[in-house]
Amino acid sequence: SRIKLGDVTPHNIKQLKRLNQVIFPVNYNDKFCKDVLEVAKPVCFDDIAVGANPKRLYIMTLGCLAPYQRQGIGTNLLLELQALNHVLNICEKDGTFDNIYLKFGSEIIETKKNYSKRIQPADAHLLQKNLKVPSGQNADVQKTDN
Amino acid sequence: APNKCYEQKQYKNGLKFCKMILSNPKFAEHGGIVSCERFVYVCFYFLNLIGWHVYGLLQRSDKKYDEAIKCYRNALKLDKDNLQILRDLSLLQIQMRDLEGYRETRYQLLQLRPTQRASWIGYAIAYHLLKDYDMALKLLEEFRQTQQVPPNKMDYEYSELILYQNQVMREADLFQESLEHIETYEKQICDKLLVEEIKGEILLKLGRLKEASEVFKNLIDRNAENWCYYEGLEKALQISTLEERLQIYEEISKQHPRAITPRRLPLTLVPGERFRELMDKFLRVNFSKGCPPLFTTLKSLYYNTEKVSIIQELVTNYEASLKTCDFFSPHENGEKEPPTTLLWVQYFLAQHFDKLGQYSLALDYINAAIASTPTLIELFYVKAKIYKHIGNLKEAAKWMDEAQSLDTADRFINSKCAKYMLRANMIKEAEEMCSKFTREGTSAMENLNEMQCMWFQTECISAYQRLGKYGDALKKCHEVERHFFEITDDQFDFHTYCMRKMTLRAYVDLLRLEDILRRHAFYFKAARSAIEIYLKLYDNPLTNESKQQEMNSENVSAKELKKMLSKQRRAQKKAKLEEERKHAERERQQKNQKKKRDEEEEEASGFKEELIPEKLERVENPLEEAVKFLIPLKNLVADNIDTHLLAFEIYFRKGKFLLMLQSVKRAFAINSNNPWLHECLIRFSKSVSNHSNLPDIVSKVLSQEMQKIFVNKDLESFNEDFLKRNATSLQHLLSGAKMMYFLDKSRQEKAIALATRLDETVNDKNVKTLIKVSEALLDGSFGNCSSQYEEYRMACHNLLPFTSAFLPAVNEIDSPSVALNHTANYDVLANEI
Repeated sequence: SRIKLGDVTPHNIKQLKRLNQVIFPVNYNDKFCKDVLEVAKPVCFDDIAVGANPKRLYIMTLGCLAPYQRQGIGTNLLLELQALNHVLNICEKDGTFDNIYLKFGSEIIETKKNYSKRIQPADAHLLQKNLKVPSGQNADVQKTDN
Repeated sequence: APNKCYEQKQYKNGLKFCKMILSNPKFAEHGGIVSCERFVYVCFYFLNLIGWHVYGLLQRSDKKYDEAIKCYRNALKLDKDNLQILRDLSLLQIQMRDLEGYRETRYQLLQLRPTQRASWIGYAIAYHLLKDYDMALKLLEEFRQTQQVPPNKMDYEYSELILYQNQVMREADLFQESLEHIETYEKQICDKLLVEEIKGEILLKLGRLKEASEVFKNLIDRNAENWCYYEGLEKALQISTLEERLQIYEEISKQHPRAITPRRLPLTLVPGERFRELMDKFLRVNFSKGCPPLFTTLKSLYYNTEKVSIIQELVTNYEASLKTCDFFSPHENGEKEPPTTLLWVQYFLAQHFDKLGQYSLALDYINAAIASTPTLIELFYVKAKIYKHIGNLKEAAKWMDEAQSLDTADRFINSKCAKYMLRANMIKEAEEMCSKFTREGTSAMENLNEMQCMWFQTECISAYQRLGKYGDALKKCHEVERHFFEITDDQFDFHTYCMRKMTLRAYVDLLRLEDILRRHAFYFKAARSAIEIYLKLYDNPLTNESKQQEMNSENVSAKELKKMLSKQRRAQKKAKLEEERKHAERERQQKNQKKKRDEEEEEASGFKEELIPEKLERVENPLEEAVKFLIPLKNLVADNIDTHLLAFEIYFRKGKFLLMLQSVKRAFAINSNNPWLHECLIRFSKSVSNHSNLPDIVSKVLSQEMQKIFVNKDLESFNEDFLKRNATSLQHLLSGAKMMYFLDKSRQEKAIALATRLDETVNDKNVKTLIKVSEALLDGSFGNCSSQYEEYRMACHNLLPFTSAFLPAVNEIDSPSVALNHTANYDVLANEI
């Protein structure tokens, strides 16, 4: 596969900022970018940064440049997260959310109305994935693969 | 001198002299001063010997090698078998390339110490350098036999000796011997690859083609990317037809499917349809894989317009297709191309159209690529390059800055950004950019000078030159010159080191490199700029600032005077702040320097006086300084026409007619149609006819030689012919037009009209040349013509809308002395947008 995960460092953090700017309709400020240095992982296709996933437990942003979507990059990013509990808010946008997270075993916990002040539609679903302590019945959950 | 005193029995003076030498604290240890004159006779002998030896060492440490050699010779007169002195002398002789002297000294050393291997090696090298191969080889073979290295043992020093011996044989054209030699000893040679390459080369020379072809086939198997091996193979197989050549590449390609060279080389050779087929394959593979230097690899084909249009057709079609259906062409199936393929195609097209001068289209493609993938540094790099070619250097620097900001750990892109800033005359910014990688605690300028970073310094020279800051530019020119001096000087230690380590081939290569060191482009750039600046300073010497302003205020109205004064006050305030900043900087630097100086006290080289810009640009004899830079160029870069034209400019101002003649003759032999040469010839001829008081013989020689060039034509006709011959070349038209005005000021209108032609028949209406023309309109080459300049600027702006130099000026220039500082105008113009 030509997809690899890279590291974010103070030297290339601007690439991450650029990705966020372009992919997401919401602008994250500089402090966010600083905090992100510890955990963010840009995804590289042939060494070009095309996707990013900055926060671990609460996923703040996970995205990929438009031309590079549907290539398995999102899957790669989430594979990284497989072993982690994660939680995120996702805004419904043309019904495109019913996808990757659900495939990986997240569940919709609740729906918040008017979650976003800046984008439409403003509603958001809270998704959560919890891994319980490994035991027989949950072994399947962990082994879920795509 | 002490020796003379001794001979003339002037003991008192001799003693005084000795006291002088020995009182130097550097070698007070070499004591032995005996106050009692009864022992003077004996002591004198030893004092003289030591004195001369030590004096020689002193001279050597001051880099006065010629003087040092004299001292050593004097010492040897007193004790001709003194080993230490002989050794020191030999080092100096080879340093100064006194090859005959070196050989003699090494002979003496060999006689004194025949068991020491350095004696043999040194003596052999002396003969080698003197091109007496027979002697060199005899000595080397004698020496080799004493080495007694058993045939199954691998010893690096012995291996180097063998290879050196073989090199001397090949230089002596003893190919048969060289082949036998290498076959005999190959098992003991460490560098196996080199052995094969040598065999291949020699077998070709001996005409043993079948064996040679085997060797080259093996070499290609080892490394299918070395073009030399293909050349060798073709010679060995005596390939004559294109088909045969293509066949070889085909075969090798099958054996080495991932090699680029066997697929790239055919592209240079085949024409038309065949080319399209091969190029299509080549491009597809590389676009799919993602090969950033693809355009660079193919750039050398762009002299061929047919191939260029084939490439353009292929790649623009790929782009159109990939945008709609992820395939290289609409009716394909199979695996779809990943999104990066379109990216690399667009990246390629941007570079392609940039090369063809279609800058708008180039920008379209690179911007499309950036829109899809704004994180890729290469895209911004190319965008910056396009703006550079357009002539908008500020914009170019801006995009290069963007590129480096995306990966601040990448020193390559950092350096590129600094270079682009320097091209845009943003010197402070460039220094700051470099400081991200230079040593902490010193200024970037200082550190880059210490590191001999000449690309940076030569770019600074040009930037300062454009800004009219001649002192700063000259400082950098001298810094570069000093680097070359140091590099030459530094070879000294290698004379002993390489003998000891037996790295003889590398040693001889070093000597040969040092012989032609100033042939390097960095020296040429620094020297050329230095000469240009010294010529300018000779033509327009810098006087006191206030004097110049006095002259100006006389002709200026009250309102303008007020404006000027307030400007002055503002400038003074700014200067004061700058001064304070500089002062703080200097203090910090001085602290560092003092630390360094304490560390470096032993290495005092004595000649490094500080370079002060203000002093450099007010030097007494600029032409003499220019000549110093010129001489190495005349010796080492005589094949570059600019060397001779620069020489002409210097001699013209010195009034040295025979040297002027020498320069134009040499230039004429290189390229008789060169535009600058044409101007020099006319000015030369005019000058000769204006000087009626030349000595007879000089006049005779001049007229005889000039006859060969001008062939009885008068200057006007000569100029007309030149213009006719070069009617489609703007560069030549410009020179011809300038000379038209020079020869007859009444033809100003016609001359300007000629230079400012922009019709379709003119071929080279590119950024560089158009800027040259507009500069000429401003610098007095056509007299007073500000309205024609304005017209021209507008016309150029229509042709090249993005070029900064032609954008309309928003601020009015209020300095009355426009002609002197026209470079400042460009700064203003370039600052727009």
